[in-house]
Amino acid sequence: MYTLTNVTKTYRIDSHTVSALQGVDLVIEDGEWLAVQGRTGSGKTTLLQILGGLDRPSAGTITFDDQDLATLPETRLTEFRAASIGFVFQTFNLLPTLPALENVEAALVPQRVSPAERRARAARTLEAVGLGDRAQHLPSELSGGQQQRVGIARALVKEPKVLLADEPTGNLDGDTRDEIIALLERLWQEHRFTLVLVTHDPALAGHAQRVGVMRDGKLAVGKGARG
Amino acid sequence: MFFLTYLRYELRQRMRQAILIAVGLAVGIGLVVTVIAASAGAANAQSSVLHGLYGIGTDITVTQAPPPGSHTGGAFNPGSATQQIEELLNGQLNPLNASSVAAISRLHSVAAAAGGLVLTDTKLTVPSTSSLGPGGQPPANLPAPTSFIIDGVDLTHLGLGPFSSGQISAGRTFAVSDGNANVAVVDSNYATANKLTIGSTITIAQTRFTVIGIVQQPQGGGSADVYIPLTRAQAFGMGPGVSTLKNLVNEIYVAAASSSDVSTVQAEIARLLPSATVTTSGNLASAVSGSLAAATSLISDLGRWLAIAVLIAAFAVASLLTMASVARRVREFGMLKALGWRSRRIIAQVLAESCIVGIVGAVMGIALGFSGAALVDIVAPPLSAIVAQNPGSAPAQDISFNGSGAHYQQEPGSTNTVLVHLVAAVTANTLLLAVALAIAGALIAGAFGSWRAARLRPAEALSQVA
Repeated sequence: MYTLTNVTKTYRIDSHTVSALQGVDLVIEDGEWLAVQGRTGSGKTTLLQILGGLDRPSAGTITFDDQDLATLPETRLTEFRAASIGFVFQTFNLLPTLPALENVEAALVPQRVSPAERRARAARTLEAVGLGDRAQHLPSELSGGQQQRVGIARALVKEPKVLLADEPTGNLDGDTRDEIIALLERLWQEHRFTLVLVTHDPALAGHAQRVGVMRDGKLAVGKGARG
Repeated sequence: MFFLTYLRYELRQRMRQAILIAVGLAVGIGLVVTVIAASAGAANAQSSVLHGLYGIGTDITVTQAPPPGSHTGGAFNPGSATQQIEELLNGQLNPLNASSVAAISRLHSVAAAAGGLVLTDTKLTVPSTSSLGPGGQPPANLPAPTSFIIDGVDLTHLGLGPFSSGQISAGRTFAVSDGNANVAVVDSNYATANKLTIGSTITIAQTRFTVIGIVQQPQGGGSADVYIPLTRAQAFGMGPGVSTLKNLVNEIYVAAASSSDVSTVQAEIARLLPSATVTTSGNLASAVSGSLAAATSLISDLGRWLAIAVLIAAFAVASLLTMASVARRVREFGMLKALGWRSRRIIAQVLAESCIVGIVGAVMGIALGFSGAALVDIVAPPLSAIVAQNPGSAPAQDISFNGSGAHYQQEPGSTNTVLVHLVAAVTANTLLLAVALAIAGALIAGAFGSWRAARLRPAEALSQVA
């Protein structure tokens, strides 16, 4: 599904040049679960952003199903994201003024889906993550774990090919963390999307098929407990 | 539609902010509406003064000033008995021939022309020589001179001239058949002061006129006290200067075919009567002085700049507030982009929110504008317009007595001070302007904000600290 060849990403911050990624080579298969570990600042979030088309590499190629994301025009990149990628964030990133159901619906707005079908799919997906009875709650009225469930529902409602999760349990406490991981696992097994999970928690990484370790912008991949 | 759903929730959740921006816009717009209304009110007041002076239908007046340095006056020598003198004064206007009226009405682009004869009737008591004190001092109990102004009205053109601006409040107005009758219509103020009613009698040059109607002139309107048919005025004998008034007028009122013809007609009349003074209401407008003129220029100059300054400030405040609120939503917009929303859609969402805020601001601004206009009405003192009167149409001034008799003279260039009330008028056009301004202001604010936000790459937007 993904082939990254010599992907490099540099940022300029003030007069400094920061190398977030330095020549990353990576192949990700369809339906694979890859965990990416590493300390803060090692470049794992940057890698995820590039996989999701949220950012472009400074050099190198990244192909997704034979499309080079690095050279895709902005509108096509947006369409690609809309159709194929689901994101789950550490800080949930829900739209604060919308209830849970509308938050999930927002992911389907760019697709040509009728309002009735959109609402029905959003409701079903919320049920699937166990929040069917919280559809009208605002994010401020939900716990951290519940907010993340909404985030996961939003990511999955469009039945994406890829789910990219950046520290999905980073803001959650022990029990809730386990619940969310169990949920992700269950959903992955049911739908077999490609799952790339960034985390600095080794225990969490252990659930994956493969584990990559980012250090100073370089990636080294080995087998995980599942793989 | 998700667009509306998002819009609804967004405004509901961020209502305080939206209202704050709307209020900011409303203040600017309210001030603009008030200033425009006050300006319109001042302009209305000015034109009502001018219309009242010459009648609403009159575009141009023609008079002839006497040679400089001349004044009408005269002297009476006290005799053995007390004398009651009545003088009809032609004032400071040289007479014009009635044929000029006909000539003017034949001009191209003239809709109608009519003549008027304005006279001042002065009655004074000349004491007997025996009642004079040392050095010719008049006795202390000598009655003061009285005078009133007579206007001979062309009954076939009642729509032209100062008489036309009045409203009959009792009795009736002239009919064409009154042309040779000794009937008079009296100004309401004069009637009250002299206790005149329908059927009362006024004596002018030993002729008794019956009052058939009482007319109420608007502020600044019609300086005459008594209106009589023109032919009757022309039949009077005369005081010093002219022996008969037959076929004479001293004012000609002209109505142009349309307002764009006025300056052409003015030029043509000037060619026809080279020594005449041809005045349009436009000329008059620049001759009006007094606090109304000062207020008008204050409102239009200072008021306009103040309104523009406040409006710009209001737009700036609205823009800053919107940009601040959008800056807080950068993460949200980044998320929408991550979900695959196009920049266009995000911008449309923000602009729609701004539009609604603009409409609310417009409504509030209009309400403020109305209140401001009402405040102007309450607070504004009566303003005075000082208008140069037709010379001669003011009462006789400067009557003196000395040893050689009574002297009286009229000075040219007397003025009429008219009090008007400023009524600030909010018109439909002003309201439309207010709505347009509010929406424009809101859209400018929204455009700044959303353009900034949508330009951010999703990665940057999402990495901003919440």
